[in-house]
Amino acid sequence: MTPESKPLLTLDGVCVAYRHQEVVHDVSLDVAAGEVVALIGPSGAGKSSLLRAINFLEPPSKGRILLEGVEVGGSRRTLDALRRDVGMVFQSFNLFPHLTALQNVMLAPEHTLGLPREQARERAMRQLTHVGLAERADAKPGKCSGGQQQRIAIARALAMEPKVMLFDEPTSALDPELGAEVLATMRTLAGEGMTMVVVTHEMHFAEDVADRVVFMADGHVVEENSAGKLMRDPQHPRTQRFLNAVRGR
Amino acid sequence: MGTILSTLADGVAQTIGITLAAFAVAAVLGLPLAVLRRSGHWLVRLPAVVVVEVLRAVPPIVWLFLIYFSLGSTDNLQLTTFQAAVIGLGLIYAAHLSEAYRAGLDAVPAGQWEATRALALPRTQAYVRVILPQALIVVIPPMATFAIALLKDSAIASVIGATDITFQAVQLTQQDLNGLGNFTVAGLLYIALGIPFAVVARGADRVLSRRLVGA
Ligand SMILES: Nc1ncnc2c1ncn2[C@@H]1O[C@H](COP(=O)(O)OP(=O)(O)OP(=O)(O)O)[C@@H](O)[C@H]1O
Ligand SMILES: [Mg+2]
Repeated sequence: MTPESKPLLTLDGVCVAYRHQEVVHDVSLDVAAGEVVALIGPSGAGKSSLLRAINFLEPPSKGRILLEGVEVGGSRRTLDALRRDVGMVFQSFNLFPHLTALQNVMLAPEHTLGLPREQARERAMRQLTHVGLAERADAKPGKCSGGQQQRIAIARALAMEPKVMLFDEPTSALDPELGAEVLATMRTLAGEGMTMVVVTHEMHFAEDVADRVVFMADGHVVEENSAGKLMRDPQHPRTQRFLNAVRGR
Repeated sequence: MGTILSTLADGVAQTIGITLAAFAVAAVLGLPLAVLRRSGHWLVRLPAVVVVEVLRAVPPIVWLFLIYFSLGSTDNLQLTTFQAAVIGLGLIYAAHLSEAYRAGLDAVPAGQWEATRALALPRTQAYVRVILPQALIVVIPPMATFAIALLKDSAIASVIGATDITFQAVQLTQQDLNGLGNFTVAGLLYIALGIPFAVVARGADRVLSRRLVGA
């Protein structure tokens, strides 16, 4: 990122608290357009909480979120604007089980963006094709494999044509084989220049696909660096211990 | 038996009418009550809680007397016995149904709400397109139970003079003193009328659950 280029997404002193228990402490992070940031760390580190704070599924207890330099929060309108521009993919897919794949994907274009139905359908078909699932358009999620379901969920988020995509452990509910097809889809997205923040336990993905890796523990960012450096030459003992532990398995 | 049946049959239409109309009122009014009760804001929640609790705390027969003999007999508001019964039972069952709706809404996983929020779906659209269709499946069996309970409770409309099955049985018994026969037939009629509710509920349940999981 050149010094004068404005970051696409900025987290400024973000804290997250459940009731009065703070679990994410003062995290600041800039994400440039087209950048892929992997968020790694042990269970309970606060990775999901931080990710969910970005689109206010868990409103930050302190700090600011800025998208293209514009602060989000306060009004319902800036919040909706943010959510239109920030796609989210969940660990458990959260597809709508009573709707077909196509209906899942076209719902938000039609009812959030207000596109005419035909246009929403076209856009949805395009995204399903993009993730390689055009032929599953009329299937309910229950009839699709886990990997297919997660790709439908990715298509659903992409159909909003977001500026940033957030992923919360998108493969950890899947067998390695099915996870691989989801990772391949994400790799393609990254290659196309999509800005992505990815919470992941897949160290290979972090190392190969991410531009930058952020290591979190106990609600703090312990260390962040370019993927190559952090994964191969971690500076902080906490990071070293974590990487050794996950690689040891 | 034949003459009893033909006399009581005069009340069948009234019983079905009160039941269906009151159920329609309850089904419609129960939903906003349920939605308000799930609000995050206590100022919104409180009035709904009070309404539901008061409706359920007072015996149905007292509600009917209250509506028919006081509210319904003022100069500018004259209610028929049918109207009073439909309003009274409709309100009481709206309170019952709101509880069933609430359970149905609670049964929809939090992840479904989160997905609608992440997609910035307007709240009404989230309810109509995502949450309610899934809640409905959970709600249908208790709704059928309430429909049958309402059918039975509709008998109290006879005390304000609605000419339903029970009313006919009372009238007939005052003439022929054959209480055993008359009320046995009345009981059988209620059983028979309840069967379609059970069947419809079972069928709807099957169709909807297939729609939910099936391709
Ligand atoms: N809804 C919640 N209510 C209360 N506490 C919560 C809630 N969600 C998470 N926490 C707590 O916040 C802390 C951080 O949790 P979080 O889920 O963000 O961690 P994580 O890094 O995503 O962990 P994992 O790798 O297990 O997903 C944990 O101590 C967790 O117990
Ligand atoms: Mg997590």
